[in-house]
Amino acid sequence: MTETVIQTHKLSKIFGGLTAVDKVDLTVPEQAIASIIGPNGAGKTTFFNCVSGFYTPEEGDVLFYGKPIQGNATDKICSMGISRTYQNIRLFSQMTAIENIIVGKHPRLKGTWWEAILHNRRYIQEEEDAVKEALHWLDFVGLAGLGDQLALNLPYGAQRKLEIARALASEPKLLLLDEPTAGMNSQETAEMTAFIKSLRDDLGITILLIEHDMKVVMGISDQITVLDYGTKIAEGKPKEIQANQRVIEAYLGPGAAALSKKFQRKKSHDA
Amino acid sequence: MRTSIKNGIRLGAIVGVVILFFHLTGFSVVASSMLGSLLANVDKGAAMEEIPALNLAVILALMGMIAGGSASKNKQNDKWSNSLVSGAVAGAFAGLLTGIFIFVIGFANFKEIDLRNYLPEIGPDVIDSLLFGGNAAAPYLYLALLTVSGITGAALSKGVIRADWRKKAQADSVQSFKTLTQKPGVQKLFGNKIAMYGFLALAALLLYFLPTQWGSYWNYIMGTVGIYILLGLGLNIIVGLSGQLVLGYVAFFAIGAYTFGLFTAPEPHAIGMNFWLAILFAILAAAATGVLLGLPILSLRGDYLAIVTLGFGEIIRILIKSDMLTDFTNGPSGLSDLTQPKWLGQTFNDVNFFHLIVIFVAIAIFIAGRLQYSRTGRAWLAISADQTVAKATGINTYKYKLLALALGAAFAGLGGALFASRNQFTGPEDHILMVSINVLCLVIVGGMGSIPGVVVGSFVLKGVPELLRDLESYRLLAFGALLVVMMVMRPEGLWPIGRPAMEAAYNQKHPKDSPPEGEVQS
Amino acid sequence: MDEQKTKREQSSLNVGKLVRWIAGILLLALIGWRIYQTAFIEGGYGPDTWMRFIIAGLVIGGMYSLIAIGYTLVYGILFMINFAHGEVMMLGAFGGYFMFELFAFIKAPTASDPNMNFLNAYPLLSVLISFIVGAVVSAVAGLLLERIAYRPLRKAPRLVPLISAIGASIFLQNAAQLLFGPQRRQYINPDILWRGTGWSIPVGDTTVLLTYTGTLSLVLSALLMIGLAYVVNKTKLGRSMRAVAENKQAAALMGIDVDDVIGKTFVISGVLAGSAGVMWGIHNGLFNHYVGFLPGIKAFTAAVMGGIGNIPGAMMGGMLLGLLESVGPAALGLDFQLKDVIAFTILVLVLIFRPSGLLGEALSEEKV
Repeated sequence: MTETVIQTHKLSKIFGGLTAVDKVDLTVPEQAIASIIGPNGAGKTTFFNCVSGFYTPEEGDVLFYGKPIQGNATDKICSMGISRTYQNIRLFSQMTAIENIIVGKHPRLKGTWWEAILHNRRYIQEEEDAVKEALHWLDFVGLAGLGDQLALNLPYGAQRKLEIARALASEPKLLLLDEPTAGMNSQETAEMTAFIKSLRDDLGITILLIEHDMKVVMGISDQITVLDYGTKIAEGKPKEIQANQRVIEAYLGPGAAALSKKFQRKKSHDA
Repeated sequence: MRTSIKNGIRLGAIVGVVILFFHLTGFSVVASSMLGSLLANVDKGAAMEEIPALNLAVILALMGMIAGGSASKNKQNDKWSNSLVSGAVAGAFAGLLTGIFIFVIGFANFKEIDLRNYLPEIGPDVIDSLLFGGNAAAPYLYLALLTVSGITGAALSKGVIRADWRKKAQADSVQSFKTLTQKPGVQKLFGNKIAMYGFLALAALLLYFLPTQWGSYWNYIMGTVGIYILLGLGLNIIVGLSGQLVLGYVAFFAIGAYTFGLFTAPEPHAIGMNFWLAILFAILAAAATGVLLGLPILSLRGDYLAIVTLGFGEIIRILIKSDMLTDFTNGPSGLSDLTQPKWLGQTFNDVNFFHLIVIFVAIAIFIAGRLQYSRTGRAWLAISADQTVAKATGINTYKYKLLALALGAAFAGLGGALFASRNQFTGPEDHILMVSINVLCLVIVGGMGSIPGVVVGSFVLKGVPELLRDLESYRLLAFGALLVVMMVMRPEGLWPIGRPAMEAAYNQKHPKDSPPEGEVQS
Repeated sequence: MDEQKTKREQSSLNVGKLVRWIAGILLLALIGWRIYQTAFIEGGYGPDTWMRFIIAGLVIGGMYSLIAIGYTLVYGILFMINFAHGEVMMLGAFGGYFMFELFAFIKAPTASDPNMNFLNAYPLLSVLISFIVGAVVSAVAGLLLERIAYRPLRKAPRLVPLISAIGASIFLQNAAQLLFGPQRRQYINPDILWRGTGWSIPVGDTTVLLTYTGTLSLVLSALLMIGLAYVVNKTKLGRSMRAVAENKQAAALMGIDVDDVIGKTFVISGVLAGSAGVMWGIHNGLFNHYVGFLPGIKAFTAAVMGGIGNIPGAMMGGMLLGLLESVGPAALGLDFQLKDVIAFTILVLVLIFRPSGLLGEALSEEKV
């Protein structure tokens, strides 16, 4: 019986007069790749922020393996096993790539400040192992050889990958990816898509994804949740979502659904 | 051509104003007199204001050349004609501005109007000197001199500094330096542990013997540099590593000094504690203050944190000085006759005290270095780079920020106690805002987060002014200007922080584990 | 990122919040008890003294308000504390001083008095021109400050322009000291505006003096604040300023010259600060190169107290701080020496307990 990794019940986030997320229910089983899509301003990133602890929801709860985590501090949530990436890459720019990854491993390490001064055996061993593991992640995301580069000097695609490597270093059970293919060309996007799938297939990590690129979404998602103006308007497998009228209208405006139907009929007519 | 003229006017105006500023603040006089000791044409007994015309002319010429040289830089159209024109215009405009000024003050002098009430630096003697010895043609001389030097500067800039042959020579020498340092022999030298230890041994020897030779004056100065290195290392942890801009660092210095003082001074409370124990208490008290201060203010954003800590520093100083607490702190009179360190019955003399400072500095550098490249140091850097993300990456930002404050404060406490003990005195005037700003300056100018940077910064900001004693009154002015200039031109500091090359180091140690070089899929 | 809009960072320890609440309540109780003690038990000052304190507080509050508006304007558009703003005020004070000296120097002999100088012959005109000159000097200073020390650092991390501002502040203070000397200078007011003269207002058994200089300052402060409100709310420049403060990129896309607007903002804050500087000279008399430091910090406190970026907040904060500073030591039974401590303490307390200020911040997205 697959466990439910993350589940939200009637999650709501209200800013003053604006309800950004309105009573959203979401369930993601273990090792699933779930996507959240919706037009701009639909509340996707706000939803992410509620799940990852950046925001405290006004209503509803977030359950991680059955345990409520809403309102917890982000560092606690990270050590519980949830990691994330960011829409506009937020690396630690003045540190090297490999250091960024090792920082990602911070919650799994135990070195204290006096151990740092004393350099006792356990500490030295732990640091060495951390470097070794970071190099492994570096290689895993395809950035081997770039470890000593300052993060801000890396090309855009490499930075995105580095961010993911950093998120992986804390051995998360749930990985939240916020628009991982933003700004990428089709080849890079294809690579990233395959990479995300391998995270689930090889590492068994559950993935929750915000994406705008429909190829990616439809290609790898096990389930898709569609938000519009903060509410969930559809949920299901890719094929279902593609045919869903409400979704089409949310993206293209009212009347688009009927138009799309017309095109579909015309296509089958001409065929 | 038009840009050249515009450039010329712009630079001419800037340099002209600078020259006026130098004249009005008395800097021209001081500089000329310092030049005089170099050129050996100033009578030792002569008054400061009687400066030979030659010295003033040299300074003016130098300014003119700078004006001309800077003005002549023309990105688009780097022709000789453009350069020379802008140089001439720059010099002429500067000459015009200064000439008018010289005319006005010369006239005032002639009419026996004493301007010293409003502009204390230009008394009649000074004006005479600025006019090349009361020369009535001085304004024209200024104009001519500056124009000519402007053209010269432009010519030099175009012909020598920006010349093609020099660019190539520079590139060549950089290249050969690179190849030299990358030669296997040289690399071995730098990375070699034996060489490093040898270097350290040499430094240790120097630090042991020099103090016995250079006299108590230099012992004091260098000791102060050492104490400021301590302070800089501490503030470096707070500002440079964990990114919290604390402007009231002197508060911790004061707590350290006063804890030491209150425990060891004969009045007001004659506790007469042992030196070493008092130092320990000073460090602990400062660290505790760091934590206490940190607790309420941790969630403040950068600018506010700065102001609050500034306020806190001032509050401490005012309280120490106040009548209200005089019974406890001895108020404005401060604490005197503090204990000196003793070892095996013998009180330290100034050489011994210097050695003590060196030992403490060495320990501090060791600790700071170890912290910087550790899990703790990485956590601090992450917090300073992006606190929200650092937290989401699992770092307990609260704890680490408090830790940085506590450790940084501890360094300051030690520094404060040492400073007080060395002077055998501490008072409210030792703990003014300027101390905080001094330490902040040296950390930033040296390079935030960088330990060699702190050492360099200390020497530059504390040691160099000692060498230029004559310019003492301009020290703060230069400080302020230096801060602005450094921020605009080189915010990373003189010796910026460097991050370790972990991948390379690992590959060196474990050659068979490493992935093939250069295999990059991005 | 949305979470950047949450100004207060989430503190991971709820213990911290609890501690703060308890500390806050204890503090208020302590202050309240102390005021009660001083005012009622220890037999305090009579109503005339309180009047004096209040009037003094309002006058200086007006000056603080003007300087505070300068801080708040700059913070609103650049997200930086213009550390050198106090020095801008100081330069204005010097400007006004030199004009006063000039006017006192120029002879304007009349039939009744052959030794009359311009200053006393045309006092109001002299004062007006001096204010204008002081304002202009400060405006130019502010403009240069922006061009040299701040503009190149627009995109730098927050720390860098702050350090630059500190450097500029130190530079200007020492430049003034070197140029004009460290001694305290005194404004020689025209005879009709002599310090310490004014209307005697009967209060209770005695009279309270409402000085001419104080009234002038207060009235002028009010006029300037009204003028500023007009500019900000009803003119094209004001609209542009508000637009740039809210979103630089969008404003630029709408055709607003952002650099120009920023420059003009510095000019306006300079004008206000310069006027405050001249007021200070006229009302308080003595000043030197250091005169901008304390009022600068206090005015910043006021701006933060009212809510940084919030113009009415700065006005209110300034008046409030002036009053608190004036009335505070007496009410709390403390030494007047500790007047400055009150300002600093208020600063610390406000920033700890209510960093968004009393009227709330008026800030936009993170700076571009």
